[in-house]
Amino acid sequence: MQVSIYHDGKRVKKMGTLLWAERLKLRRSRIIWISAFSAVMVLFIVFMQGQYLYYGRRYIDISEWYMTAVQSLGSIYVFPAVIALAGSWMMCREEQDDTLKSLLLVPVQIPDLIRAKLVVSAIFSVIIYVFMFAAALAVEAVLHFSALDYKMVFKFFKIYLLEGIGIFLAVSPVMAIVYRLNKSYWLSLIFAELYSFLALFLGMNGILRFVYPITAAFCVAGYYEATPLQLVVSLLSLCACGGLTALVMRSTGNCVTKCFLKGLRVIA
Amino acid sequence: MIPSKIISERSREGRALPELVRIEFVKLRHRKYVWLMLPSALIMPAIAACFFKASGMPDATPMRFYKMAAFSYTIWLVLPAVLGMLCTMLMYEERCDDTLKQLWIVPVSKTALFFSKLTVVIVYSVCFMFTAAAGSFLAGILTGITASGYDSVRFLFLKCLQCGILIPFAMMPVLAVAASQKGYVLPVCITVVYAFTGFIMLMVNVYVFPLSSAIAVLIKDIEGVVMDGPVDTGMAFLSIAIWGTVSAVFGVYVLGRECR
Repeated sequence: MQVSIYHDGKRVKKMGTLLWAERLKLRRSRIIWISAFSAVMVLFIVFMQGQYLYYGRRYIDISEWYMTAVQSLGSIYVFPAVIALAGSWMMCREEQDDTLKSLLLVPVQIPDLIRAKLVVSAIFSVIIYVFMFAAALAVEAVLHFSALDYKMVFKFFKIYLLEGIGIFLAVSPVMAIVYRLNKSYWLSLIFAELYSFLALFLGMNGILRFVYPITAAFCVAGYYEATPLQLVVSLLSLCACGGLTALVMRSTGNCVTKCFLKGLRVIA
Repeated sequence: MIPSKIISERSREGRALPELVRIEFVKLRHRKYVWLMLPSALIMPAIAACFFKASGMPDATPMRFYKMAAFSYTIWLVLPAVLGMLCTMLMYEERCDDTLKQLWIVPVSKTALFFSKLTVVIVYSVCFMFTAAAGSFLAGILTGITASGYDSVRFLFLKCLQCGILIPFAMMPVLAVAASQKGYVLPVCITVVYAFTGFIMLMVNVYVFPLSSAIAVLIKDIEGVVMDGPVDTGMAFLSIAIWGTVSAVFGVYVLGRECR
């Protein structure tokens, strides 16, 4: 028993070290600034869209419109691609920068390293959404300060936070597949962009809306109204994405995964 | 034969451009990803066919079908995103393969290099739009949504040709950014934001952004398209020209700076 506790403690410590190292690596890279630039552009572009006149009234003059539009438009057109790009960049860079050899000499276990990178990607996704929430809230406060109340702020915070986690889970198979294919990480951007683009059309269908991972994240976050059953279906869909990521990352010897990856490699 | 000393530098550049374009196409043959991006032209025809079939085709006309299949998201988002990726990869791979240095040693003019890349993008864009047109036509025929009316098919292919020629000029800022960067993370992120901005600005002010200007000019005469106001074609072309010129000057400047 003591050995097991010691073993677990050592493992937690090792994971802590890996997360610390990943954080330092991320701080030095430009991807943070590039993602921040994308986020600021989304805020600006949605603000511009708010100037559109609809029956003599600008969209931006409608209370809560800006906060709703930033998360919905961003989550369909921009953030899945940016999160997938950042995640697969983190995973592929060790091999592309030729630092993997040095890490293996430390020694670092590859599954632990990948797990740490996935955790950092998830945190990165949540940070993007929290940043978007803070910025959108600031704009909303400037425009409609009198309409703000705690309930509304909490409702949107929940939507943004859960969408950050949900979108990460939805795009995590893309990162895993690109990592396993050993291809350049820009492929993940193309895959994620197509994947989120299809959400535009599948979101129109009453059933597929709750099953398709990108729109399922919207349901779980509370952006789409859903019955408890639909909510469970959406949660299962996102969990299936997480499971698929774990399967692709872990089971190199699994015959089904091997065939799946081989098929994808042929396509890509 | 005229001795090479007598030929001015400008005329030598003029002669170099067709040769560079030919070389670019030779290089393109080895790049598999370029051909793998072409089937994305068929996404919208497939979605449009499913959508019209599912809705029971209450008021389906060939123009309504083609509008959704080839002139909506295909030119708003898919084509700009694909062309942005192509611009990025064309510039990035020169650096990655270390062939840019050798081109400067030849020497190759920076202007000719920039415009040879743009020519490749234009040709690719036309091929992409013809694939979308053929896909839309076949999807319409196979699902029984559209009959093979000569006028509508002629309009589809002509409009796709216009889209294929005009949109690459609106993508010149992405080509210039790709020329200025060593990596490809920033240019591909800019491509995503650029396509998204073009789509959104279409509803706000089409003359501010070149992609919105190009799309507005292209879709204004399509049956069933309702624009916020009349589109001033001259203003739209002026916007594309200003952005294009600034991008070309910037692109050539950054290539020249790198050469030094």
